[in-house]
Amino acid sequence: MNAIDRSHAKPAAKLLSGNAACAQGALDAGCTFFAGYPITPSSEIAERLSVLLPKAGGVFIQMEDEIAAMAAVVGASMGGVKALTATSGPGFSLKQENIGYAAGAEIPCVVVNVMRGGPSTGMPTRPSQADIYQTRYGSHGDYPIIVLAPASAREIYDETIRAFDLAEICRTPVILLYDQVIAQSSETVALGGRAPVHATRKWASGPRESYKPYAADADGVPPMPRPGDGYRTHTTGLTHSESGFPSQDPETVTRNLGRLYAKLDHFRDLIDSYEAVRCEDAEVVIVAIGISARAARRAVDACRAEGHKVGLFRPITLWPFPEIALREATQHAKAILVPELNIGQLRLEIERQLRDRRVEGLHLISGEPITPAQIAAAATKLATEV
Amino acid sequence: MPKSRIELRFGGTGGQGLVLSAKLLADALALEGRHVAQSQTYEPTSRGGFCNADLVVAAGEVDYPLPVAFDHLVLLDKIAVKPSWPRLKDGALVIADSRLCPELPDGSMRRCHFPLNRTAIELGSERVTNIVALGVLIEMTGLCKRASVEKVIRASSPRGFLDLNMDALAAGYDLAKAPVAAAAS
Repeated sequence: MNAIDRSHAKPAAKLLSGNAACAQGALDAGCTFFAGYPITPSSEIAERLSVLLPKAGGVFIQMEDEIAAMAAVVGASMGGVKALTATSGPGFSLKQENIGYAAGAEIPCVVVNVMRGGPSTGMPTRPSQADIYQTRYGSHGDYPIIVLAPASAREIYDETIRAFDLAEICRTPVILLYDQVIAQSSETVALGGRAPVHATRKWASGPRESYKPYAADADGVPPMPRPGDGYRTHTTGLTHSESGFPSQDPETVTRNLGRLYAKLDHFRDLIDSYEAVRCEDAEVVIVAIGISARAARRAVDACRAEGHKVGLFRPITLWPFPEIALREATQHAKAILVPELNIGQLRLEIERQLRDRRVEGLHLISGEPITPAQIAAAATKLATEV
Repeated sequence: MPKSRIELRFGGTGGQGLVLSAKLLADALALEGRHVAQSQTYEPTSRGGFCNADLVVAAGEVDYPLPVAFDHLVLLDKIAVKPSWPRLKDGALVIADSRLCPELPDGSMRRCHFPLNRTAIELGSERVTNIVALGVLIEMTGLCKRASVEKVIRASSPRGFLDLNMDALAAGYDLAKAPVAAAAS
């Protein structure tokens, strides 16, 4: 999935913000429905799509709030279209109930969360990376979910398309997670000539009489009924059997929830994505996402210039965490440095994955991004200690 | 050959068109095939508060999109001095409005005052102070060709603002020919 064909891209670089790249990626992925409620620093996605979607024959709705927006997206997807919503921290909190519904009822959709300072209203115009666990565990109950964490305008474009692909293929909500700096900074991006990737939904086929809406194929994904095709279906937030009707039968409940996890395991090759920079011989590996990873990339060069063996591991797919790739990238590392704009979130996952290793955090909660110099200083300190 | 990486800031207060100036310059540079990253910081209010619009210009892909140390700083309000001054490079060019930002700290930078705001008012609207400043910056630094920024302004000006914007830009070019060194404060 990572191997996106760019061979016929003709660079005609133009200035694009991360949010504008997201809107363009959604259009190119075949998204025809957006429902949302504006919130800084995500509003440019809605603003752009309010102009572009109707022109492309799609539907844009500004809803009364984020709860309704998420509900509309779930409904639109059940109606057979690729659907998107975009928000930031406080709005993302409101969407959680319906994100859980989409995970449980297996409704494909894409949710963008642009991270700003929190908690609560917090710092609307300042970056943060403190929603790492909210994207994974924000809704109640056990459920798997896919979270993608792009780090540039170009990557936001590509990952938005990939988010729609994964949502359709795995029949699951996919969260696109990036910070205010990446969202609102504009970068020269060449998008010319690239044929967008389209995953088509697996529709129900075969005899209508015996159709069961939650009877999965071997890949764990049940085909969805296309409205109008005549398949009887039932969708509920209650635990359900293959018929779609509510069930609390212990065996049925256990099997169904197990299948939700197993289907993502089945597609891990498509889901996993990461970038490893100069990790082959690295004694210190920096693990970072978003703007912190952009700063870390520069810090790696600075440290290498001083003779320190420092590398960068950047998960592009944040959840499920690409743990095999992390272990490979850190096999020679004596210490791991996790710079992030929170009080210690990604660090917890790295500690969990690499229990035998020294893991240090570099945490900034001031509303300012971490600088390359701050990361380089911390990495150099670690490199000289180990 | 252009320098491999140039970093600059338009600093002032919310509503002055700082982001617009940076975007126009970024578009002009992109038109010339340069790689740019443009970012901004602003307060959660529609007017007022510290606001800055930053630009990183590079020969190749921009690795880190935020500025680390400024080569050029444009100041349209005194509120922007404190957060920006410690990040100036030695010998950096500082272009400040004589009225809105009358006092500048000492240092090894090239500090110039211009009546940007007054010029804009004389042209007919205070709102084009940002474009006068853009004209000064381009003329003093040669960051991009005049033709590039003029093309971008022509393409993006709302009806009724094109002539005013072009006049403001030209006034900026003229002002730049006679920079006034800022007095030490």
